[in-house]
Amino acid sequence: MSGRRILTITRRVMKQVLRDHRTVALLIVAPILVLSLGALLFRTDPVAIPLGIVNEDQGMSLPVVGSIDLGQRILDELIESDRLEVIELVLGEVDERLLDGSAQGVLILPEDFTADFLQDQQAELDLRLEGSNPTRSMTITAQVTQAAMESLASLAGTGFGMPGASQADDGEGSLPLSVEVTYFFGGEEFDTMDYVAPVYIAVLAMFLVFLLACVAFLRERSQGTMERLAATPANRAEIVLGYMLGLGLFALIQVSVILFYTVWVLKIHYLGSLALLFLIITLLAFVGVNMGILASAFARNEFQVVQFVPILIIPQILLGGSFWAVSEMPQYLQPFAYAMPIYYANTALRDVMLKGWGLAEIWPNIAVLLGIIGVLYMLSALMMQREVA
Amino acid sequence: MTDFVMETRELRKHFRLIRAVDGINFSVQAGEIYGLIGPNGSGKTTLIRLIIGLLRPTSGSIQLLGETMPNKAVLSQVGYMTQASALYEELTVRENIAFFADMCGRRDATWMEEVIALVDLQDRVRSPVRTLSGGLRQRTSLACALAHRPRVLLLDEPTVGVDPQLRSTFWSYFRELAGRGVTLLVSSHVMDEAERCDRLGFMRKGKFLAEGTVEEIRSVRGTSTLEEAFLQLAAMETEGGAH
Repeated sequence: MSGRRILTITRRVMKQVLRDHRTVALLIVAPILVLSLGALLFRTDPVAIPLGIVNEDQGMSLPVVGSIDLGQRILDELIESDRLEVIELVLGEVDERLLDGSAQGVLILPEDFTADFLQDQQAELDLRLEGSNPTRSMTITAQVTQAAMESLASLAGTGFGMPGASQADDGEGSLPLSVEVTYFFGGEEFDTMDYVAPVYIAVLAMFLVFLLACVAFLRERSQGTMERLAATPANRAEIVLGYMLGLGLFALIQVSVILFYTVWVLKIHYLGSLALLFLIITLLAFVGVNMGILASAFARNEFQVVQFVPILIIPQILLGGSFWAVSEMPQYLQPFAYAMPIYYANTALRDVMLKGWGLAEIWPNIAVLLGIIGVLYMLSALMMQREVA
Repeated sequence: MTDFVMETRELRKHFRLIRAVDGINFSVQAGEIYGLIGPNGSGKTTLIRLIIGLLRPTSGSIQLLGETMPNKAVLSQVGYMTQASALYEELTVRENIAFFADMCGRRDATWMEEVIALVDLQDRVRSPVRTLSGGLRQRTSLACALAHRPRVLLLDEPTVGVDPQLRSTFWSYFRELAGRGVTLLVSSHVMDEAERCDRLGFMRKGKFLAEGTVEEIRSVRGTSTLEEAFLQLAAMETEGGAH
């Protein structure tokens, strides 16, 4: 072992890295960017989940106890919750609110709710959940159950209610409360993986072809074939389109593998059309291809390609509605989410997989993805102008 | 319409303060081998890239096959061999040649076989380029430039890094092509290659120090070799610059 030789190599490596100013800058900027985004998202107070309540409960007047309005008591308890934003609704609005997502669940308290409880000593809650986000569904169910139990406990002094009961959700046994949950989308069989699966699919579909396209196009320049190609009658638009289609074919193969594995091996639930899922993932893969071609114009070597990951890919995962719903992000971060191509794919994939929506409902997201592909394609062709007259 | 296959007028290309090409006038006739001779950094590659349309001139004009460059349409009749071999490593020799023929929209199976025979690559057509030696790569690169039966060939230092035997073989190819009416513009910094050209331009610092046939340049300078003529011209240019 020669310490001198080792130091010589160390010095040479340091010189090389230091002379690549962008690498040095990214070594500092990239972790700060990713950590800042993570901190902003993780430290954000959870946004209250909108819960609709249709309270038609008429209550009941009893000779000694006086008036009892169990529905109002539950409503008051729910309003106290900082996890929920209670919206009072009428019955006719329920489906519309669940469909557009402005209510993530609706609790329906019929007019004889109190009367029935007093008669049967058993309260049955009708809770309708939007259902596409299992985490939200669980939160709503837990909060509603807790509010109902608190309300029943408050009746203890009246000789009604079961103050000792801590929770109930199936109406079995001695518990005075049962929650009948119905799902507008999805169902009980949908778990968190079903909710996260569209994100996995989207990230994989875009990320891998992005790297493939970026490196392939970079090699075209570094091995000199781009210069040769530019000296043929082919114009920039043709070259980029040829690349897009060539790499797109591999993207399609990858998309097929991802879908097959997700649906048939991992048994991820999906309600909508498989063909539509294929279309969305394919479009996102084409976004990845074009993003890769465009990014390659800014890279001089493979090392610089890798540097694009924390700059272009990780923010997409953090801000694109993958794990944090955009509506739950801080207000000032939300515009960035809408600038992320993956957001539109995530939304469309979830709408198809979890809500069973079709093209008629998700076409705006498809249109945006197509638009992004068009813009990236034009920018890629324009960026080639920098190198080729 | 000009009678020349290639012609430049007061051609200039400046990169900020660097005058890579500085007022070049020259013309090449059909079937002629024209040599761009000069040391590294004299502007030969920039001049070739201007002619083929990969760079836009700062000023001046270029006519190639009767069209003002840059003009993509003309390129289907022009072959270009870059200084580096510039081939697709994963593709075979034949696949590389066929690719560039297709890109120019002029794939002709008979001609392709002729080109492969011309550069003596019959035994290696199925070999991936990554398995080839430097000399074989250069031959493949030349074959790619010829793949679409071009009327004009622009060859940027085609013999750099090539052994003397292969260099001699390359010049035999060039002469044969010229005999078939192909016009060649060949850059080189090797003086013995200059002797093989029909006409040549001595380049230094983006300018032509002399232009004409080998005999013309030698007799004007009164030297026995081109190398002496070039050194004399370079020295005069340096003195002129110093004054």
